[in-house]
Parts: sequence; C-alpha cells; structure tokens
Amino acid sequence: MERFLRDLVRGIFEQNALTKSLIGLCSVLAVSTKMENGIMLGIAATFVLVFSEIIISLFRKWIPSQIRIPIFIVVIASFVTVVDLTMQAFSPEMYRTLGIWIPLIVVNCMILGRVEVFASREPVIYSIADALGTGMGYTLVLVIMGFVRELLGTGKLVAFGANLIVLPPAFQAEAPKIFIMFPGAFLTFAFLIVLSNYLLALKEKR
Amino acid sequence: MEDLTRLGLLLIGAALVNNIILVRFIGLCPFFGVSSKVDTSIGMSAAVIFVMTMATAISWVVFRALLVPLGLADFLYIVTFILVIASLVQLVEIVIRKVSPALFRAMGIFLPLITTNCAVLAAATESVKPGFFRMAIAYNYTFIEAIAYSIGIALGFSFVIISFASMRERLETAPIPESFKGAPIAFVTAALYSLAFVGFTGLFNI
Repeated sequence: MERFLRDLVRGIFEQNALTKSLIGLCSVLAVSTKMENGIMLGIAATFVLVFSEIIISLFRKWIPSQIRIPIFIVVIASFVTVVDLTMQAFSPEMYRTLGIWIPLIVVNCMILGRVEVFASREPVIYSIADALGTGMGYTLVLVIMGFVRELLGTGKLVAFGANLIVLPPAFQAEAPKIFIMFPGAFLTFAFLIVLSNYLLALKEKR
Repeated sequence: MEDLTRLGLLLIGAALVNNIILVRFIGLCPFFGVSSKVDTSIGMSAAVIFVMTMATAISWVVFRALLVPLGLADFLYIVTFILVIASLVQLVEIVIRKVSPALFRAMGIFLPLITTNCAVLAAATESVKPGFFRMAIAYNYTFIEAIAYSIGIALGFSFVIISFASMRERLETAPIPESFKGAPIAFVTAALYSLAFVGFTGLFNI
C-alpha cells in the first residue's frame, strides 16, 4: 500500500513528465487555450495510460523484447481508437475542438515512455498507480496552463458552461490576447518550469 | 494554372502560416531535443522531409484504396497509419544503410526517433482527413495536394528547427539567470520566435 502511494505521488510532482522530463509537450501547449479543453484531454490521456499499462503489465512475461515497441504501439493505438470513437459519439463538440490531438495521443512520448520504463517490468497493481500518477501530473499541468492562459488572455474563466471567474470589464477590454495565441503557450510554460524547478530546489535544500 | 496556384498556397500555408512547430505545436519533442546543434538539426530535417513525404503518400493510398472500400476507415486509421510509419522507418533505415553509408551516418540515429515524431502522424492523418484543419468544410485532398501539403509541413519544420538551433548555439555563451538555464530559456526564445509567426496569421486561409 505504501509503495502504491509512492508510485502514485512520484508521477504527479517530482517526476512530472512535462516539467521534469519535457516529454509529451505538444498537446499541452496546443490545447491549453481553455481550461476545460485541458481537463478533457487530461482525462482522455489518463484513460489510455491506465489501460495500456494494465494490459502490458499483465502480458509483460510473454512479450518478446525484440518486438516490444510495435506491440506497445498497437496496444496504445487501440485504446486511443476507443477514446476517439467514444468522444465522437458522446461529445462531438469537444471532439471538434480537440481535433487532431485525439489521434496524436498515440505518439505522445509520455505514454510510450511509461509503458517501456514501468509497465513492462512491474506488477499490475503498481503499474496502475504509476499510470494514475503520471496521468494526474499531466492533467495538473494542463489545468494550470489553461487557467493562466484563459484568465489572462480573455479576462474570464468559463468551464462547462459556467462562469468561474470574471475579471472587471476594464481588464477584459484590454486583455493581453497574446496569452491565448501560440507565443503565450511557450511563455507560460517557460515560467511554469522555472517555478517548478525553483520549488523542487527549495525542497531539496531543506 | 489555378491548380498550380492552389498547390502553391497549400505549400506555403502549411510551411509558414500554419507552421507545424511554432503555430500548431506538433513535433515539439524533436524540436527541443535535437535543436542544440546546427549539424544535428540538419540531419533530423533531412530525415523528416524524406520520411514524412513517403509516409503521407503511402498512408493516402492505403486509406483510399484499402480502408475506405473495406469500410474500416473510421476505426482502423490510427493503427494503420502508425504501423505504416513504423515499418517505413525500418525499411528506410535498411535501404539507406546499404545504399549510402555516408547518408546513414548523417541521419541514421534520427530515423528511429521519427516513429514517435507526432508531426509525421499528423501529416499522414491530415492528408486524408483535412477536416481536422478546418472542420467547416468536408473536403478530400487529391494525391498531389496531399503530397504538396506534407512537403510544406516538412519544409516548415526544417526551416524552424535549423534556424532555432543556430539561436541556441549563441544562447550557450549568453549570461542567463540560474533558474532559467537550459529548457526554460529555450522556451522563452521559442515564444519570441513564434511572435514573428503571428504576422503570418490571416495572410490567407487554406
């Protein structure tokens, strides 16, 4: 149980795939123009991650190591197809917004990386912890990025039809739109890494 | 004549207006991974131009000639394309090693990396599903248009990655605050670079 928690927490903070290893960035920068997009993509990627790790961890003793990469990719691609079709059926609007990023979950290096490093070696139960942790870390970064960019870029925060935060109209009229455009993504992410490096360095010093 | 104009627009649109790295954030892993030296970024660009064009051509044919007539297009395209790309990369690697050892030394190490380069999968997907680009119109690229589109994407990728590498080489000697060293300053640079691409938006739509 203790190890389960440790595997879970590791992926969220100190080994966060995005801010520490800088993998799986593309989708985060592209989708974080709105917070709700980030939440949906985070859920989709976590789903794929959890089920791919379960399947591969279950069969890890039978997968020949020479052809493991093609096998991993086919397993991941199958679960991405599940997400692709499910989202198309139940939430066509969100599917249109996320667009190419749903099929591109297949080549998210974060997923292949976790499967290769963790699920192909460890028992199922810890693989679930690792997948959930990594997925939550990914979603957390998406939500923070979406929060900052949407709030600064448009002056208000709207998620699933509800106004969460509305800044004064004076700010909205002059909102720095650059944050919801593409340069804002690079800039926000740069400062997010600086912040996370700084906090981790503080923790180590203590 | 009109066709030629259209092809030209498609090429420039894919290369500059909708630049795959700085505007659409696809293919960021190789962008930050191999852009610290100009030489390596040239090798990566050559490999990407080559593989991306071939992968798009094959995927287009497989999609139109095999998946659509068999009625499998909706749910098998992700798995099919990723397998096409993975086996193509293997094939290209073997052929180049035999035919031109010099070329193999130049781009050999980048070939395996291309399998998980999301730009290649994105180019292949969008050549048969341009709908991802602009959802409003249902339109199918012809074979020539698909090729022009993928060459445009690959050229835009190469242009940005090579010029960015030369910027990063200069950054190495610049005085930078401690917590900005490494990845964060690269992101800030990318943000400023992508500001230049804001000028292209709205130039024309494709």
